[in-house]
Amino acid sequence: MQSSRPNRLVEYLDERIRVRSLMQFLLAEPMPGGARWAYVFGSMVLFSLIIQFVTGVMLAFDYGGTPDHAWDSVNYIDHLKYGALPVGRLIRGFHYWGASVMVILVGMHLLQVFIWGAYKRPREVMWLVGVVLLALTMVAAFTGYLLPWDERAYWGTIVGTNMMGIIPVVGPVIKSAIRGGTGLGALTLSHFFAIHTMVLPSLFITFFVLHMVIFRRVGPAGPYKGSVSELEHKKEFFYPRQVLMDSLGMLFIFILVGTLAILFPPGLEAMANPANSTYSPTPAWYFDWIFQLLKLIRPEIAGVLGIPLIVGILLVLWPFFDKKPERSPFKRPVVVSTVLVSLVIIIVLSLKAEAGYKPMVDLNRDAMARGKIVFDHSGCIGCHMLDGKGGKVGPDLSEEGLVGHTEHWLITQFVNSKSHFPNSPMPDFTFLKPDQLKDLAQYISSLGRAGWPDPTAPSPPGHGS
Amino acid sequence: MSEPVIFRMGIPVMDHSGKQVGTLEQLVFNETQKKIVELVVRELSGLRRIPMELVSEVSPSVIRLTTTVTEAGLSRWPLFHPDEYEEVPSWFFPPGAHIEIGALVTLKPYDVRELGDQAAITRRDFMARSTLIVASMIGVSLVVPIAGYILTATQTKVADHWVNLGIALDSLPVDTPVAHEFFGTSVSGWMKVPVSRTVWLIHHSHPNTPDSTPEDQVLGMDSPLELRNSDPRLTVLSPVCPHLGCAPQWTPDKKEFICPCHHSIYQLNGKRIGGPAPRPMDSLPVRVEKDGTISIVYEQFVVGIPKKVRLS
Repeated sequence: MQSSRPNRLVEYLDERIRVRSLMQFLLAEPMPGGARWAYVFGSMVLFSLIIQFVTGVMLAFDYGGTPDHAWDSVNYIDHLKYGALPVGRLIRGFHYWGASVMVILVGMHLLQVFIWGAYKRPREVMWLVGVVLLALTMVAAFTGYLLPWDERAYWGTIVGTNMMGIIPVVGPVIKSAIRGGTGLGALTLSHFFAIHTMVLPSLFITFFVLHMVIFRRVGPAGPYKGSVSELEHKKEFFYPRQVLMDSLGMLFIFILVGTLAILFPPGLEAMANPANSTYSPTPAWYFDWIFQLLKLIRPEIAGVLGIPLIVGILLVLWPFFDKKPERSPFKRPVVVSTVLVSLVIIIVLSLKAEAGYKPMVDLNRDAMARGKIVFDHSGCIGCHMLDGKGGKVGPDLSEEGLVGHTEHWLITQFVNSKSHFPNSPMPDFTFLKPDQLKDLAQYISSLGRAGWPDPTAPSPPGHGS
Repeated sequence: MSEPVIFRMGIPVMDHSGKQVGTLEQLVFNETQKKIVELVVRELSGLRRIPMELVSEVSPSVIRLTTTVTEAGLSRWPLFHPDEYEEVPSWFFPPGAHIEIGALVTLKPYDVRELGDQAAITRRDFMARSTLIVASMIGVSLVVPIAGYILTATQTKVADHWVNLGIALDSLPVDTPVAHEFFGTSVSGWMKVPVSRTVWLIHHSHPNTPDSTPEDQVLGMDSPLELRNSDPRLTVLSPVCPHLGCAPQWTPDKKEFICPCHHSIYQLNGKRIGGPAPRPMDSLPVRVEKDGTISIVYEQFVVGIPKKVRLS
């Protein structure tokens, strides 16, 4: 159908692999009702998956998948520069934010298919394959979380795998099989790395191809309103208008992920420390609502087993339960409003969970440095341990910054610790000036967070010496 | 599955009463419904589109309609305009029907119908070009950081790292090379590995004679680092043969370094006197500390070329 200008490469390939009819097959996909912006979500999901593949391979180039090197290698990637361009941080940022954006896009794609009623006969199998792809996305997000082997990764995975361990009978077996032992260690990291970089990509490709094959067999569902002849009249092919719309959607996603990667580079917390008893782990934001819901459900097992089971069963069985051919969301008010209400509940729970995490104090480097001098001159080290040095009367302060006390709480603690802990033996440091107290609070808040082990060090020591 | 319905082009189309009204010319396919929706029948007034609902029987020899056609012929039904339709690719053939190739047509896309072939194609070209531009924007902005990421290794400079060998110059024998082993650090990305290394230390009895000056220095092949850090009493030679990277061995009775691989032969000061090596043995920067101990920088050079080029 295309105006075929003579092109020798096309001629060559057409004679040998019949490229014209192949392209014709790929591009001349009929779209009842014409091209629409509403159809770009599927392509956006695919594009975010491609970003993950490309940047993931790049990260794997320089990653060392053992507990004694994983953190070093991620830190090394974070400091990789080409000239002035921080390429390592950029690529890691793309992978990090790409994951979040992919989770959102998968959610939007699923929601749209649901509201449009596009999962109905004859597209039930395609829906099921989509549910598998959703599950793969979640597993990818969970396994990728551990790989930097920092505190957040370590403790998040401890909690995540412990939750699996609660499942009756099979739980402990699953947990130790995934961990490769009772605790988190070298085998856990290898297992997660293999799942994340070998198992999941192959499954992603397989199920994506299946999704597409089914899609081409049954065709797009099209708009939910409009008569057959009307849709036929407005019919277009996938190429060129929808292709252009899809590529603009992809460009939008690319710019979004790139902006996030540049403005908010993913941090790297201190290296995982299994002995740290004060760290309060938080899940990745897309698991927030589950985290919050789990707090509300007692006994715990009901939530741990119940939530994924109910969500999974609902997703799998829904198209077989809801068999009415009506597709318009306005004629299915109960179902559609239930889904929208659940969405709102999920968003509210997520926001609540985020607000529940103790926010970290904003740090100022100069104040931190001044605070370190106050710390050294006030004799704090006489009672408190800091990176293995100091007294044992008070608690270890090596990672105090991660506990999440506010500046106000810390200053109160310095001058009047009895107000927090009535039996505290800590002296009241009332001789410190208000500025000094503020600086000290800054320094204490930085411990275990910025730079490690010494937060006031200007930058990590260079390589090669 | 039942037998496919066979549509043969050119067969007579008869009305209810058995009167021939025309011949079958083509079939119109609806892609959304995935079925044949109209017949194109040729009669005297031209090509007419008759809906499939009016067909009562299809056989390889005749098609019968349910209605009776009057004197006016098929003029009740719309004319078939060939330029609104295009041929259906073979994989669209509807199931359960057998059609002779080239007989099935479908409606052209909306923009082609509305704007005509020519205008629609310019629009298509515009959209194709826009898509290409968008794709290139994404591709280029992704390829730049990736290429930089891969190429960072080529930019990484090896720091000049002084190693104190812990051996005093005075304790070395005179005019006899000593293979001194020490521990250095090999840095690969995020990993630092201690490695055992060897250098040849040559303590000269008569400094500043031609025999005791490293050949590299004589030929002016040294880098500023090596020029700044040299000592007439001492020559330090890399153990790596500049030919292909083997390890030349000192042969005391001949007073020569001889490489076991390809028999490159060097004198005490590194000067090549035989064999395929393209340059003398490489001398290394050296410094004698205040306490008389020897410090060196362990450098590595590209082998197989006449110039002394440091591996960055």
